[in-house]
Amino acid sequence: MSDFDGLRQNLSRMFGQVLSHVPALAQTWGRTFESVISEEVPFTRLQKPLREVRIALATTGGVHLRSQTPFDMADSRGDATFRSIPSATPREDLMITHDYYDHTNADRDLNLLFPLEHLRDLVAAGHIGSLGTCYGFMGHIEPPHLEALINETAPEAARLMREEGVDALLLTPG
Amino acid sequence: MGLIARAAEAAGIATVSIVGLREIAERVRPPRTVHLKWPFGHPLGEPGNAAQQLSVIHYALEKLYTAEEPGLIFEPDWRWRRERYALPEGWDF
Repeated sequence: MSDFDGLRQNLSRMFGQVLSHVPALAQTWGRTFESVISEEVPFTRLQKPLREVRIALATTGGVHLRSQTPFDMADSRGDATFRSIPSATPREDLMITHDYYDHTNADRDLNLLFPLEHLRDLVAAGHIGSLGTCYGFMGHIEPPHLEALINETAPEAARLMREEGVDALLLTPG
Repeated sequence: MGLIARAAEAAGIATVSIVGLREIAERVRPPRTVHLKWPFGHPLGEPGNAAQQLSVIHYALEKLYTAEEPGLIFEPDWRWRRERYALPEGWDF
């Protein structure tokens, strides 16, 4: 890594930490999206009761299995890839790799960000039909990786969900 | 995150996104959004507070059934602390 990349990476990490504490800056950051989003909002109506629904969970909080390659923190423009997380994964097999927000509390109680255990309990109680494979992404993605997310990785995750018969998706940020 | 929600929704999966910043949701326009102005990194609440976390999940899943048009942002106006959360009942949506 060149000195410039190192500097850019450190600045970006600081920026992420500052964003966590100064919402006004994050509002400005939101404008980055304007140029890449279409006007039309897709919409699918859920056709079955919750007790029959197959649900999945996706987070941009950088959650992944300890055995998987961590998200790339060396690239200051983020990492548009995702990690598939089997629904039966034990809590101790999961970790967070994400330098751009403070995940101290999420490390202590992952359910406040990635409520895999709550959803498993709701399935066990019969309130939700079943739980599909879940997905860990990393937020804080900037061009050119933003285009990769929109055109490649997000549609690929959606395709995998469809293949698995997922009806509904709950998403949480980092 | 809204971009992932949009991709899933376009593939025929109903989505609900929990966000901490209303302004980003207004720009990205996920199909259904729940906005909670809570500290970053705590989308469902405080560590160890299962009643709070499940209240958010319950509120969000209900929106899968009650949102009548795309792009709506729902705000339960729950305070971060100083709010008494009970374990939600009635999951029969």
